[in-house]
Amino acid sequence: MSPTHEARIPLAFIPPGTEVRLAALGEEIDALQREQLTAYGLAENRPIKVLQQRPMTVILADEVELALEHAVARHIWVNKDEDRA
Amino acid sequence: MTTASAILLVGHPNVGKSVLFHRLTGAYVNVSNYPGTTVEVTRAAARFDVSASLLDTPGVLALPARSDDERATMQALLNESSRCLVQVGDAKNLRRTLTLTALLAELGVPMVLALNMHDEATARGVTVDTDELAKELAMPVITTVATGGEGISPLTHAISQARVPETLLLYDEEFERHIATVAAAITEHCPHPQIAARGLAILFLGGDSVVEDWLRHAAGERYPLLDQLCRAARETTEGDLPGLLARERTEAADALSAAVIQRAVRSSPLLSQRLGQYVVHPVWGVPILLGVLYAVYQFVGVFGASVLVGLMEKDLFEGILNPAFTDFVTSVVTVPWLSELLVGQYGLWTMGMTYALALILPIVTTFFFAFGVLEDSGYLPRLTVIANRLFSLIGLNGRAVLPMVLGLGCVTMATLTTRILHSPRERLITIFLLALAIPCSAQLGVVLGMLGGVSFAAVVIWALAMVGILLLSGFLAAKLIPGRRIPLVTELPPMRLPIIANVLKKTGGRLKWYLIEVIPLFLLGTFIMYVLDKSGALPAIIEAGEPLVSGWLGLPKEASAAFVMGFLRRDFGATGLFAMAHSLSPIQAVVGMITITLFIPCFASLMMMVKEQGAKTALAMLGMIVPFAFLIGGLFNIVLRAVWS
Repeated sequence: MSPTHEARIPLAFIPPGTEVRLAALGEEIDALQREQLTAYGLAENRPIKVLQQRPMTVILADEVELALEHAVARHIWVNKDEDRA
Repeated sequence: MTTASAILLVGHPNVGKSVLFHRLTGAYVNVSNYPGTTVEVTRAAARFDVSASLLDTPGVLALPARSDDERATMQALLNESSRCLVQVGDAKNLRRTLTLTALLAELGVPMVLALNMHDEATARGVTVDTDELAKELAMPVITTVATGGEGISPLTHAISQARVPETLLLYDEEFERHIATVAAAITEHCPHPQIAARGLAILFLGGDSVVEDWLRHAAGERYPLLDQLCRAARETTEGDLPGLLARERTEAADALSAAVIQRAVRSSPLLSQRLGQYVVHPVWGVPILLGVLYAVYQFVGVFGASVLVGLMEKDLFEGILNPAFTDFVTSVVTVPWLSELLVGQYGLWTMGMTYALALILPIVTTFFFAFGVLEDSGYLPRLTVIANRLFSLIGLNGRAVLPMVLGLGCVTMATLTTRILHSPRERLITIFLLALAIPCSAQLGVVLGMLGGVSFAAVVIWALAMVGILLLSGFLAAKLIPGRRIPLVTELPPMRLPIIANVLKKTGGRLKWYLIEVIPLFLLGTFIMYVLDKSGALPAIIEAGEPLVSGWLGLPKEASAAFVMGFLRRDFGATGLFAMAHSLSPIQAVVGMITITLFIPCFASLMMMVKEQGAKTALAMLGMIVPFAFLIGGLFNIVLRAVWS
């Protein structure tokens, strides 16, 4: 399903319960940690569900639950899918 | 290179490799529901084939290798004579599993894919067409539930049918050219006896340091040529070559996964998922943590340190065993010094074995059981989320809470577990803090037993002192040790109901390790005390230590003996102070316990520190910790005397 409206937003600012798609991992994230995130399954256009934002960002990517510090989640860019939200 | 025909279990962290290893060999390695439990390669004979040895490798998040765990696994892949690789994958997360398969398949070694935790996948509505997947990969694919023993027999059969898989992808044309060029050079100058040159070329271009070292060694003077080819490939590539190669593997895995997987639509999250979310909830997380700590305190601090120690020490040892053994020895052994060595004041049985078995064993047993339940439930990784903010104050991230909590059981074991931390800086700070301010369960039990008998305020002062010193020392260490803090990114495995049989096995394994370490040191410590006492050196040491122990710390001069004992094990020293509790005032008890807690780690921990950080760093830490312990103890003596009288 193609989104009706797309906007790149940092993952850290997405409200819990929202489903988004990964747009890009920012260059500000350490190169090794970027590789780590890719290995966890955070690749371009993959669906992510935000479960909570405090005390850390917790997301569900496929069936993997990941906790990310805001310092990382701020630099993960996602497309908010208005139809899904 | 070993001559045995090895079967390597390889896969992501926390997918059940160690449980499968146990099922296939009968050998038990530490298994936990959090990533990073296996920090070293473990080997055992396979049950189903006596000619084969099975290797359990540390979990790899991805290859090429970046972390210590990944490097250890890569070394096993390069240095073992592998008959086959068994990739253990998470059945509910096939995409991630296949991303690793995409690389392993390039190695040219026969493989089997075991999709483990099949039950969890089914519960989440995930169905994998394993026949189709096996056809696509041209290798056996088996579903297993290692914890329940399901699929083990088909897996052992599949291992005998292992085949070199089809590669999952052809990379971009330009990348394929680079791979072919490097592979041709490897084939010409340093072929590996088993691993395909193409696989080595992909790893080398991906920046795998272990493969790089292997090629440097194997190619010798021809290595600069390989290095030049690699540099040329990176320079002509627009973008980060390792990242681009990884991305293509991910895309290939995505495509294959989409073709063989079906997902049923689920209306609501599973109970385990909801529970997992409550545990890290911004509101409920902290009350749940306090509840968990209270339950652990009741089980370890009250049931273990009070009820079980009472039964063991008073009823069994002092009531039955010690009088009987003393009567027996005094009637059989006619040499007075030998009789005293066995059952005297510093007797091997009456002091050494009684301390080890009656005081320490019940406490560590209950702690390791409680820790095992928490590990297998999946609570500990969630604790890293709750603790992250606190640990950021001391330059660490929440992951450091795992060795710290394990340190409350055994600091030696916890020092080894610091390998789960990602940077040398984090490991250094954590090992220092473990050595300084984390009391092991044996010592904790003695401290709580002694100060609990003084007053609740005494326990609170000691606890606040420890937490304060931990945070202050960590804060200073983080400022002084160069490097930056790594933000936390961690997987939260599903919450699971612990299987008690597994927890008991794990507790048994840890207790065995602990007792093998403790009993010889307790006996050695007792023997040294006996010799010092008989030779007249102990009174001399007590006199020599008087200005420090009595003058500065305000303790009776006999407390020097406890510090001598503390050189072998801190809990041994604490027990020595405990034994003279009746002659200490509340302030002396608190000061004594603060000093002995901060005092040098036990001998075994020190050896582990040397192993992990080198002798120079370990001795430097020791050189800081001993004076610091006495400094803080003395300051507390002054402050408490001024305000608590």
